[in-house]
Amino acid sequence: MPYRFLSNVAIADIAYEVRSRDVGGIFEGAAIALTEVMVDRRTIRPRLKRDVRVTAEDIDRLLYDFLTEIIILKDADSLLFKEFDVSVEGEKNLHCTLKGELIDRSRHRLRNDVKAVTMHMFGVKKAKKGLKATVVLDI
Amino acid sequence: MVEITGMKQVSEVVWEIPTSYKQGMVVPARIYATKKLLGGMDRGVFEQVTNVASLPGILKYAYAMADAHWGYGFPIGGVAAFDMEKGVISPGGIGFDVNCGMRLIRTNLRFAEVKPKVKELVDLLFRLVPAGVGVKGFVNVSQSQFEEIMRFGVKWCAENDYGWDDDVSHVEEGGFIKGADPSKVSTQASSRGIRQLGTLGSGNHYLEIQVVDPSRHFDPELAKNFGIVHPDQVLVMIHCGSRGFGHQIGSDYLRVFDGAMKRYGINVRDRELACAPFTSKEGGDYYGAMVCAANMAFANRQVIVHRVREAFKKVFHREAEALDLHIIYDVCHNVAKSEKHRLNGSEKELLVHRKGATRSFGPGHHDIPAPYRQLGQPVIIGGSMETGSYLLIGTAKAMEETFGSTAHGSGRTMSRTAAKKQIRGNELQRSMESRGIYVKAATMDGLAEEAGVAYKDISEVVETMSIAGISKKVVALRPIGNIKG
Repeated sequence: MPYRFLSNVAIADIAYEVRSRDVGGIFEGAAIALTEVMVDRRTIRPRLKRDVRVTAEDIDRLLYDFLTEIIILKDADSLLFKEFDVSVEGEKNLHCTLKGELIDRSRHRLRNDVKAVTMHMFGVKKAKKGLKATVVLDI
Repeated sequence: MVEITGMKQVSEVVWEIPTSYKQGMVVPARIYATKKLLGGMDRGVFEQVTNVASLPGILKYAYAMADAHWGYGFPIGGVAAFDMEKGVISPGGIGFDVNCGMRLIRTNLRFAEVKPKVKELVDLLFRLVPAGVGVKGFVNVSQSQFEEIMRFGVKWCAENDYGWDDDVSHVEEGGFIKGADPSKVSTQASSRGIRQLGTLGSGNHYLEIQVVDPSRHFDPELAKNFGIVHPDQVLVMIHCGSRGFGHQIGSDYLRVFDGAMKRYGINVRDRELACAPFTSKEGGDYYGAMVCAANMAFANRQVIVHRVREAFKKVFHREAEALDLHIIYDVCHNVAKSEKHRLNGSEKELLVHRKGATRSFGPGHHDIPAPYRQLGQPVIIGGSMETGSYLLIGTAKAMEETFGSTAHGSGRTMSRTAAKKQIRGNELQRSMESRGIYVKAATMDGLAEEAGVAYKDISEVVETMSIAGISKKVVALRPIGNIKG
């Protein structure tokens, strides 16, 4: 797994860390971890496709806006996703093809309804082997 | 216990951290806690409350109430009042879940009448009030109706058959805060919120059937003023907020303020303390949008009350009016509001942020509904689903000391991830049922995260506020049925 949940960072909420050799892997891992907070991703089928494009001032804000888009799709369109095919250009432009399906309470093992991505400890940093992102979600 | 340089004890339960503790502190910080609660507070509370004490225009003190724990920017359980001209507004001082709050409804039923029907009632309420990830609400509205809800909250509900005439006056601010500006709300926020009117959410949100605890019926005479006349009377408590709508407004403006601070020469120690002058364009825009979310939250709790009335009618075969299902009161505990307070001998209009803190206005205040005005404002303190809750009232001392504020709940001591490692949801569900609490949860993981052991001792929190004199105990309530998102 490219991510791990952090037990003692956010008392009322959920924190996780993603490590990857490249930017695309960081964004994909962060999206997967966010999804795992909301649902057991194994129960989601990749039945429909959505394209998300995000432009931001820097890589931190690009990740913030990308994760926020996934939360918006959950609330506005009742969609959860299994797969994230991410490409990032120049750390300021992102295109992601998301594959998933409509929320089905009878079949999906649902978990927490994520409220928001916070700025606490948030960001993408250089690590020993590639990059590391820290994300704290408000639950 | 965390060692804080220079912290002194002001009274039995009040502790003060001087401005010398940290460079840039404008005012001292005050923490309300018994020695036991203070000893259990995480370092984040002390760091965050002193960061808040460093914000421009803060007045008197930055406060952390007895239930304080680490939050984003502000601690949960935080209170701060700002000068309207020189001060700031901060989404971190309100929380993403704008106007998360508590509502308490009474019934004229006694425990013996409800006990045999608790399962039927909880099962029905679980079907009637959607909870959990991505659920749709039961109120379908157009965009223009949703904007009316943003402006008029409970008033809209009462005019559209989701409430009774006297509901409006039994909600903080008369069911809607003035100053809503739907033009400052993003399309994304509306798209997240428009289908969520009438949903409970998840996390620590709940709908609970409670009974007065006869052994902790502290002031029966006072309780009668709220229609609580029996030592084993059944009540209903709702804890939820503005759902994805408020969350998105928080996210949108956190981004705006993150970029705007440079322009105003504001430096903060924590990005989650992003703020802007209240008089700035960004500050005014956020206030207008935040009020929209606050009013949506009032409406959300109101339409849930409508469903509670339907459920009781169906289960007890009596009209809701005959069951006396009146709202006792509704309080916000995540909000910033313009309020008048006495400061240095004169009355002044201030912007009071309460994040995980409850308004606790004392007797005689004109914002308290007429039937309660001479008593003080009802204060609803929600506990964990295992330990129960409290009804308190506000005091004159709260007006003098804390800008009319007190605690909001029990406050967490254990992270969600840690709680899930220790507790299994289905075992907890069985254990609670054996103790007379029937719980239905949208997910077992969510249930485990909300176990009583993950929270502080609510009685200790309430006792602290009582010793401090900033709220007064009326009655304790114990859960008998619970719906969790």
